[in-house]
Amino acid sequence: MASSSTSKYNSHSLENESIKRTSRDGVTRDLSEAIPRLPGETLITDKEVIYICPFNGPIKGRVYITNYRLYLRSLEMDSALILDVPLGVISRIEKMGGATSRGENSYGLDITCKDMRNLRFALKQEGHSRRDMFEILTRYAFPLAHSLPLFAFLNEEKFNVDGWTVYNPVEEYRRQGLPNHHWRITFINKCYELCDTYPALLVVPYRASDDDLRRVATFRSRNRIPVLSWIHPENKTVIVRCSQPLVGMSGKRNKDDEKYLDIIRETNRQISKLTIYDARPSVNAVANKATGGGYESDDVYHNAELFFLDIHNIHVMRESLKKVKDIVYPNVEESHWLSSLESTHWLEHIKLVLTGAIQVADKVSSGKSSVLVHCSDGWDRTAQLTSLAMLMLDSFYRSIEGFEILVQKEWISFGHKFSSRIGHGDKNHTDADRSPIFLQFIDCVWQMSKQFPTAFEFNERFLIIILDHLYSCRFGTFLFNCESARERQQVTERTVSLWSLINSNKEKFKNPFYTKEINRVLYPVASMRHLELWVNYYIRWNPRIKQQQPNPVEQRYMELLALRDEYIKRLEELQLANSTKLSEPPTSPSSPSQMMPHVQTHF
Amino acid sequence: MEFSELIRTGRAQAQLLRGPEAPPLRGTLCVTGHHLLLSPGPQSTPDLWLLLLRSVDSIEKRVAGDSGTITLRCKDLRVLQLEIEGVEATLDIARSIEALSSLESVITSFPFFYRPKGLRLGDSWHFLPPERYYKRVARETDAWRLSEVNEDFGLCPSYPRAVIVPRAVDDDVLARSARFRQGGRFPVLSYSHAPSGTVLLRSSQPLTGPQKRRCAEDEELLRAVLAGARPGARGFILDTRSAQAAKQARMTGGGTEAKAAYPGWKRLHRPLERGRPLQESFVRLVEACGDPEQSMDRWLSRLEGCRWLAHVKEALSTACLAAQAMEREGACILVHGAEGTDSTLLVTSLAQLILDPMSRTIAGFQELIEREWIQAGHPFQLRCAHSAFSQARPKHEAPTFLLFLDCVWQLGRQFPLSLEFGEGLLLALFEHAYASPFGTFLCNSEKERCLCEVRTRTHSLWSGLNQPKEQRKLRNPLYVLNPLAIWPSVEPQSLRLWQGLFLRWTHPPEPAEVAWEKVWQIVTGREETEGSQPTASA
Repeated sequence: MASSSTSKYNSHSLENESIKRTSRDGVTRDLSEAIPRLPGETLITDKEVIYICPFNGPIKGRVYITNYRLYLRSLEMDSALILDVPLGVISRIEKMGGATSRGENSYGLDITCKDMRNLRFALKQEGHSRRDMFEILTRYAFPLAHSLPLFAFLNEEKFNVDGWTVYNPVEEYRRQGLPNHHWRITFINKCYELCDTYPALLVVPYRASDDDLRRVATFRSRNRIPVLSWIHPENKTVIVRCSQPLVGMSGKRNKDDEKYLDIIRETNRQISKLTIYDARPSVNAVANKATGGGYESDDVYHNAELFFLDIHNIHVMRESLKKVKDIVYPNVEESHWLSSLESTHWLEHIKLVLTGAIQVADKVSSGKSSVLVHCSDGWDRTAQLTSLAMLMLDSFYRSIEGFEILVQKEWISFGHKFSSRIGHGDKNHTDADRSPIFLQFIDCVWQMSKQFPTAFEFNERFLIIILDHLYSCRFGTFLFNCESARERQQVTERTVSLWSLINSNKEKFKNPFYTKEINRVLYPVASMRHLELWVNYYIRWNPRIKQQQPNPVEQRYMELLALRDEYIKRLEELQLANSTKLSEPPTSPSSPSQMMPHVQTHF
Repeated sequence: MEFSELIRTGRAQAQLLRGPEAPPLRGTLCVTGHHLLLSPGPQSTPDLWLLLLRSVDSIEKRVAGDSGTITLRCKDLRVLQLEIEGVEATLDIARSIEALSSLESVITSFPFFYRPKGLRLGDSWHFLPPERYYKRVARETDAWRLSEVNEDFGLCPSYPRAVIVPRAVDDDVLARSARFRQGGRFPVLSYSHAPSGTVLLRSSQPLTGPQKRRCAEDEELLRAVLAGARPGARGFILDTRSAQAAKQARMTGGGTEAKAAYPGWKRLHRPLERGRPLQESFVRLVEACGDPEQSMDRWLSRLEGCRWLAHVKEALSTACLAAQAMEREGACILVHGAEGTDSTLLVTSLAQLILDPMSRTIAGFQELIEREWIQAGHPFQLRCAHSAFSQARPKHEAPTFLLFLDCVWQLGRQFPLSLEFGEGLLLALFEHAYASPFGTFLCNSEKERCLCEVRTRTHSLWSGLNQPKEQRKLRNPLYVLNPLAIWPSVEPQSLRLWQGLFLRWTHPPEPAEVAWEKVWQIVTGREETEGSQPTASA
């Protein structure tokens, strides 16, 4: 008797893994044809291995390693499994078992990935068979440790749109109505001399001189002075971001900083106080004084009101995600799922980030108060809060291009340390600088899109492809820690932007239920009762958990697109028939084909 | 009329608080025989606010100074607050509501007085599910016949007049089998799965008792089932109790089919929670969802502690097991627990939704509920007497039907295109099962409904729901016919709390109706362009 737990599973095709029935033609194809290759991608080696699939058991296959990916095709006849994993996803490669270890498939490699999975390959236990595979993988997965370039610099892909032109700071600030009477655009950081982790172009209060800015910079951690992120189109309140003030144990003050914050407050006459949101828990903010940091105290900043948002640091988030992985891969926790999920605290962190962003958005929109946001350095939690608040406030950022601009602006240009947080091409998997801060942000966006199904132009697939290429190193978009480093490396000239890929095939990433609304502020409910684990991302490798049908939105959209194409085709046919009656009529009227066949599914 | 004796006071000035979203309503409060109504006074909108008294689950009164507060917790999980001027008036109104909301008489209940415009009595009652369903079965196989052996409800008081049984057995055999089954519920056809040539049956437990009695006619009946199915078909008896519980039932005269007596049939035990534990799980869940003090970081473990989702999982996986055995293994299935009126129906109806595309249409789903729940004798009157707020000790209350609706909702969530109806219909069914102006969910069985003349004296919910103005709320705009079986994932990661029901009245981010309406606009907008495009291009 078959039961729900023992039936064989077929996972339906995903980006990177699929198991499909193959025709039994038995024809061995040319090697160059056998694996997909990007322009600039070269095959390094291939080898017969046993892929130890955690869901379907060991599968014999051939693995191909290029300078970009690990590609595995099963050699078994009845089901063709394909693994297509960009090497950038790999965080750690370990040898398992020794030449003398016993047991079937005990000798081989265990690969830990950054995208919530592990890959295990077993090899023959003779003649150090895994050594060259290990060495090649290590070389190309961690090119920086071997003085090799990241694949993005070798990638010769061409797209008909250039993603690098999506974000133009001047245009974006102009869209926001800047500069205006109170805010100016400054080029003081043109060569990154004021702050090396800030973008070249900054928006600052009109009344603050460049000298003021330089003096303020001395009092802010890593010179990350308060600059404008977003201005409310009607009440002109602003979201300003920065790093912590360098108060230290002795409680240092800086008149220029105090004055500067007051100038920011005065750009908007409606309120008497500037609201400061310190993203950290208050104890951490206090503890930071010991290392020279701190926060704006009430008795020094009279016209400011400070709130702590209790969001934990990068280390806490990293550990929390680790726990999530423990309960979802390879086996999902069954008996006490909800309490195990609770014990990871992941959703609780999501809740705190969202709650913080809601407060920022609400203050700016309803409270009519300008807001200053910072954490310690102002490149992790600060980026989360400003970008999420902007997403709630400004419907422009809920479009595909708007969202790309948001990421480009608040994350990439303002120096979220992608390189350190992700560890692109770096072999040091235990690096304490790594942390899933950007993933957490995308998760928050997903939670919002769940709660407001018609408010976002993009779909879930858009968010997932961003996360996939956060690690892949195929595009230059997320490489390096800040704009100055990217400029030095000529990233925009030498690499392709992820937005080129996405924008040249936008239809795939669209939410068909998107209804454009101009002035709607979204306030998601950040209660635990309304948050859920993003199963389609975190547990996507497990074929049993997968949604049985493709995303409905996507499926319906595919149908609509196919329908549209059909009409266009019919229109062309009719036009053709009308204009050239002489020529033969079109041979076959297109039959409406079933675009997305329903897949027989299994539980 | 006797209601007037229960109405202590005619009217009072009051303010109604309807939760965080809706603005408070002020006006004159009136208690009538079946309703609580608030008329907002001549100057404001003429809209009356109306509450069916039957939908009040619990009532709590508090007086302070010269006014009082009444908190009404409704069976649809809504919580309402009335602030009433005058202590006397408050107490009187509270007492009136208490008395009127707990009246047990069926024939004086509101459905017998409800005469909505545009509906005629008798509409939609005409469809007789067993007969209708038999027509469908008869087109596929001639192994079955419609028996009117229960014409006068003599054989089985909880079965309808007509049941579908193997053609090979005559009514005498049925009568004897009925005597061998609790409450006379002998095995009858629930669903015939034509593609695999197998059938789904349901019954109650056999009355083997401590002596392990047998009944030749009951055995003959099940033998005939296998003989009428696809050649070589095996059978599974899916007992919704644990093996232990089934064994214990012998002491009280019940029991389970002896292996040797039913060749070709194999017994499986899939224990499903029923009765009080299920009701308690429901109460705990509603409590947790409505708890304003709930410290949020413990929410998930509290949700888990309610065990509601575990019940959903068990119900769905048992239904999957039944469906899988039919579709994949070509086996016939007989489902029963003890009485065969609760978890049995849960399993058979869910299995049909999984296998049968027809039951996923609006009409088919209504027919399924009519056939597999109402006519099949699920005791709605007893099970839905109270919802989650009642302080009274639960007697026969159990949210089995709600559990079914929740499972359907999970199916709809996992297969968003495959159900013709949406959350709106499920919510409406939940509401009406507990308190309704329609007669559909009244009484415990067809026999009782006949005695009360429900068919001729009340309106059917189906005619109410099938009015054009209701359609937009109930239909799934994304529906496309899916001819295949839909196998849900029953892993805990795939199941969700039904927020639309359990968190319906606690500020959702965007009211589901708003999003629903938008989707409708998009879909209908698309259809219009679709409709016009080809002609425009021609």
